[in-house]
Amino acid sequence: MSYELQVNGKKHLVDTDADTPLLYVLRNDLALNGAKFGCGLGQCGACTVMLDGAPVMSCIVPVSVVGARPVRTVEGLGTAAQPGMLQQAFIDEQAAQCGYCIAGMIMRAQALLDRHLAPTDEQIRNHMMPNLCRCGTHMRILRAVRRAADTMGKARRGDRP
Amino acid sequence: MNAPDPRRRSLLLAGGSLTLAFSLAPAWAQGEGGAKGKGKLPGSLEKVPWLDAWIRIDADNAVTVFTGKAELGQGIKTALLQVAAEELQVNPARIRLVTADTARTPNEGYTAGSHSMQDSGTALRHAAAQVRFILAGMAAQRFGVAESAMTLRDGVFEAPGGRRATYGELLAGRQLHLRADGKAPLRPRATHTVSGKPLRRTDIPAKVTGGAAYVQDLRLPGMVHARVVRPPSQAARLESADTDSIARLPGVLKVVRDGRYLAVIADGEYRAVKAATALARATRWSVPASLPGTANVPADVRARPAEAMPILERGAAQAGGKTLSATYTRPWQLHASLGPSCAVAQLIDGKYTVWTHSQGVYPLREALAELLSVDKETIRCIHVEGSGCYGHNAADDVAADAALLARSYPGRPVRVQWMREEEHAWEPFGPAMLVDMRATLGLDGRIADWEYAVTSPSHNNRPGKAGNLLAATHLAKAFTPPPGKPIPQPEGGGDRNAIPYYVLPNARVTHRFQQNAPLRTSALRSLGAYCNVFAIESFMDELALAANIDPVAFRLRYLDDPRAIDVVKLAADKFGWNRGKPGARRGRGFAFARYKNLAAYCALALEVEVARETGFVRILRAVAAVDCGEVVNPDGVRNQIEGGIIQSASWTLLEQVRFDERQVQTVDWASYPILRFNQVPQSLEVHLIDRPGQPFLGTGEAAQGPAAAALANAVVQAAGVRVRDLPLDRARMRAAK
Amino acid sequence: MSDAGRGRRRGRTLRWLGWLSLVAALLGILAVAVMWRPALAPIDAAPRFEPGLVERGARVAALGTCAACHTVDPSRPFAGGFPIETPFGTVYSTNITPDKRTGIGGWSLEAFERAMRKGVSRDGHLLYPAFPYNHYARLSQGDVQALYAYFMTRPPLEAPAHANAMRFPFGFRPLVGFWNLLYLDDAPFEADPKQSAEWNRGAYVADALAHCSACHTPRTRLGGPDDKRFFDGGEAEDWYVPALNAKSPSPLPWSREHLAAYLRTGIAPGHAAAGGPMQGVVENLRHGDPADIDALATYIHRYLAQAPARDTPARRPGSLPAPKPDDPDLARMQLGHQVYADACARCHDAGRAESSGTALQLQQAVALYDPDPRSLIHLVRDGIAPPDGEPARWMPGFGAILSDEQTIALAAYLRRYGAGQADWPDLADAVRKGKE
Repeated sequence: MSYELQVNGKKHLVDTDADTPLLYVLRNDLALNGAKFGCGLGQCGACTVMLDGAPVMSCIVPVSVVGARPVRTVEGLGTAAQPGMLQQAFIDEQAAQCGYCIAGMIMRAQALLDRHLAPTDEQIRNHMMPNLCRCGTHMRILRAVRRAADTMGKARRGDRP
Repeated sequence: MNAPDPRRRSLLLAGGSLTLAFSLAPAWAQGEGGAKGKGKLPGSLEKVPWLDAWIRIDADNAVTVFTGKAELGQGIKTALLQVAAEELQVNPARIRLVTADTARTPNEGYTAGSHSMQDSGTALRHAAAQVRFILAGMAAQRFGVAESAMTLRDGVFEAPGGRRATYGELLAGRQLHLRADGKAPLRPRATHTVSGKPLRRTDIPAKVTGGAAYVQDLRLPGMVHARVVRPPSQAARLESADTDSIARLPGVLKVVRDGRYLAVIADGEYRAVKAATALARATRWSVPASLPGTANVPADVRARPAEAMPILERGAAQAGGKTLSATYTRPWQLHASLGPSCAVAQLIDGKYTVWTHSQGVYPLREALAELLSVDKETIRCIHVEGSGCYGHNAADDVAADAALLARSYPGRPVRVQWMREEEHAWEPFGPAMLVDMRATLGLDGRIADWEYAVTSPSHNNRPGKAGNLLAATHLAKAFTPPPGKPIPQPEGGGDRNAIPYYVLPNARVTHRFQQNAPLRTSALRSLGAYCNVFAIESFMDELALAANIDPVAFRLRYLDDPRAIDVVKLAADKFGWNRGKPGARRGRGFAFARYKNLAAYCALALEVEVARETGFVRILRAVAAVDCGEVVNPDGVRNQIEGGIIQSASWTLLEQVRFDERQVQTVDWASYPILRFNQVPQSLEVHLIDRPGQPFLGTGEAAQGPAAAALANAVVQAAGVRVRDLPLDRARMRAAK
Repeated sequence: MSDAGRGRRRGRTLRWLGWLSLVAALLGILAVAVMWRPALAPIDAAPRFEPGLVERGARVAALGTCAACHTVDPSRPFAGGFPIETPFGTVYSTNITPDKRTGIGGWSLEAFERAMRKGVSRDGHLLYPAFPYNHYARLSQGDVQALYAYFMTRPPLEAPAHANAMRFPFGFRPLVGFWNLLYLDDAPFEADPKQSAEWNRGAYVADALAHCSACHTPRTRLGGPDDKRFFDGGEAEDWYVPALNAKSPSPLPWSREHLAAYLRTGIAPGHAAAGGPMQGVVENLRHGDPADIDALATYIHRYLAQAPARDTPARRPGSLPAPKPDDPDLARMQLGHQVYADACARCHDAGRAESSGTALQLQQAVALYDPDPRSLIHLVRDGIAPPDGEPARWMPGFGAILSDEQTIALAAYLRRYGAGQADWPDLADAVRKGKE
């Protein structure tokens, strides 16, 4: 079946089975590497992307339910040459060991920062709970999100009269 | 730089490559950390002495450095780059690092045991120094000046008057096919601009922006997708499989059946998943009761036969004084890599190419050659990063799957991705272990006697042999796994770190090695050290309490290595061990170990809060002190230690494999929970003691054991009860009396 | 009017006023009697308790499911802070650790008992019956003493009470006095001589401890138990709570063993998996004495066994069918079937073992047979999360994945083709409202 998807602001036409999880569509049909296969069960968050602004586990999102709702992946936040604010924070904190969980972490965190101007450390920690990291990079991930929150907070306050 | 000495070398041209014949060299100025004793070449140079196996410089001045080690997420690519860049005096951004590839890189065995810096780093350092030394001589000759008159920057020599020559120009396309001698002077630590600095990891930018970085990201032209249907257990028998109906499913290209080995190959990934699910449902197995269950793992470990191997006999058994004894146990545990294992293989014109995240591409190649009954020269194994493996996980198994299926479906790349349930149920497990120990405190409060026995199955079933590959044991002509073998001291397997680093006049340590285990076991980060250090360091606390001496002070009495004493004192000091007292429900714990008694030193203090009613343990803060010799990438070391502490906390507080009489039951994160953000420490500090000039010491596994023991010791103070059976999960903590 | 006349009228007025004042005074006294309670003096130090009594208290507390409301953060047991939504506002559970300032550290046994049986705090203020003291009123004296011993020996934690958010006028606590008049029956528990010892034990556990009927019996407009409809089902935290008697919606008959297993583990294989508020209940019950759980199952089962045998699709679990071509709601049913097949079937078609999260084949899911769709909507949106760090049931939530329209269609489809039941009349509203 044919599906028109809006991913990172661009329209894509994909031809795939209705029950194909969005994760496989992103990776195989659209050649996007960010979202990763970790469990296929919605338990680990390695596949986290944003659907209509909310973080979702793309491994349990069948492509048939997405419709016109916009999908955002880590590729939509920036590139290696021009990383987005959150991605830069992860680079600055060197917040990765094997790095497999990181794209999912970034999307999960981005959803928080899109909605909260000044999250507390406690709020960040609780928000990130659905995502697993096996290497133990948690401290750096929290620091990276904190750093981005502070940077974004300053930027946003700068915009206010 | 020294003046050119024509006695030292003469140039010969032979067959397009530049070979330098070395006459016996007089003693010259030794750089720090020169060749280590007994005429052996440093690190992996001993096995692979040719300089151009490690470093190639092309005519256009492109520099390529080769290592037989693999990036596992431990930052080794960056660290090795720093080492090479420092000695070559080339900007790291201009160096291309090629890792583990049987067609291109030296054979350095496995990337394991925290050997990468010791073996590969050392080799690269000396090789690079020698290349620089040779090129300096060539440049001086070309310019007709003394070496000391030239400057070198980013691979370019400059003579007074502005004449310049790049490395590429000097070599003009020839490669240095010369034997290393390990004697070239190394750059003094004080002049370092790259090594020892926190150079940013080269792989992170791609990983945070969706760049291709993992074997899972490989997309080769014409690639097809495969999934395997595993038996419910190793003892299961295949009764029937309706493969015909599966072959007709959309997208299915082939259904493979060979003995108990079942797989599907499809043109799309999710179609392969669905076809495999359908095949699993269309298959009947008989599943006998073949496992002992996990209701009482310590009893099961004790019941299985073991061969007693003494590994330490010092002094004589002492009687008299106060004797304490204890038994510590560890359950079966998982690597549980976040990204299940994946491989791609292709068979074209009789040649196999396998893209794999195996820790050892050369041993894997041997095993695949045996599995496929082909010459190993027809197989090329290329390492591509996977998710963190933490030891021998399913990486080799999935490579075998891919190779077998490539053979069934030649011409096109075949990608095999293990599912979560497969990885949890079939990866080689960290083995269940048991420690019995006894010590006597003399009347003077000192440890007069020490007796220790660790019981464990094998921690090494890595391929080399086809029988170590899971698929091989399911084929009609099945391979038998070779019998487990112990790893000899001083490395050790189950007995790794079983010998305490403490100075004890009378001590006996025995390794009770079990050749058989109900499930396949192999190396999981730090191997036996996790359990042994947990046991020894818990017991040291028990002894300290009995002697009424502070646990840190107690340990210091038995350490004579000044580097060990330094890390212990630093950790205690930075933690504030002697300052204040923990509040209600809180406790502090300390632990120290030197990994393998010859690698990195790690001391750790931490504070926990325990809620007895819920069994919930919260880590408040952790402070570690680490000595890993000369530090190449301080941030990389910190990252590994932080990660090791948190991963070990997860093992210690949460993790155990469960199986009943028939099958493994912990097959996903619901049944095998690991640490989440709400349980990582509130704060975690790592303090490094840099030892310029000292050999690099393996660090990646140094924190696993100390973290377990420090946690257990802290829990004792917080909860008033000592649990000696891992994990200290909520159920155990609730029940503990 | 003459002077005498005026005097008589004044006298009559005064008498009226006098009677009025008397009645007012009497009403006032009555009101005070109903709405006011004295403070009890705080104690300085907790008494010492026998370890055996404390242990007994732990088991009693497990059966009483105290932690289900009083423990929010597993690292701070009994520190309170759980929001209980009622039609009268949101009530937050309090800190019942023996902290002097913010908990019950200053409470005597008398104060504790008064709270448990009468819903009165130490300082005299009335507790909201979201705290089920109308059930604990029937605790045996021994159990009250054991509970007191248990709670007074917990580590004290500082946690000031979270302010409640009550709708006007229910913020005025003394009004609860009237509720107590109507609904607080503090007659002691009476065993039924016609029943077995085990049944009676189960009855005691169900009524005085686990307070099952607090959720499983409907409530009146005033929020009291509607005793005439005992075990007819109810609601809790916006979930529908199933009936446990002849009206049980369960598509399969419960056996006593299944029920005992369910109460102990949260799973009755092939039958039910605890979700929503029942999760907290099961998490507590499993630490109780297994014999008591068996007794509870015996008692409850007596009611459940009243449910008539029904033939439901639960007896024939498996893949759910596509909608019939002549279905009057075809478009919606097709959408629902599509959502089921694409999003749910992967786990629910064949089911998933207990040891890996548990997933029932949906013909067996009680939520599809409930008289209203709230529980199903919660399950689909929020999934089922295990307690921190413990292996247990797991279902991911689809709240951010499915649109309202998709959720409505899925629920309607499952109701018709999964359960074979008549449509839920207010399904669309319930889905849209549930999002808030």
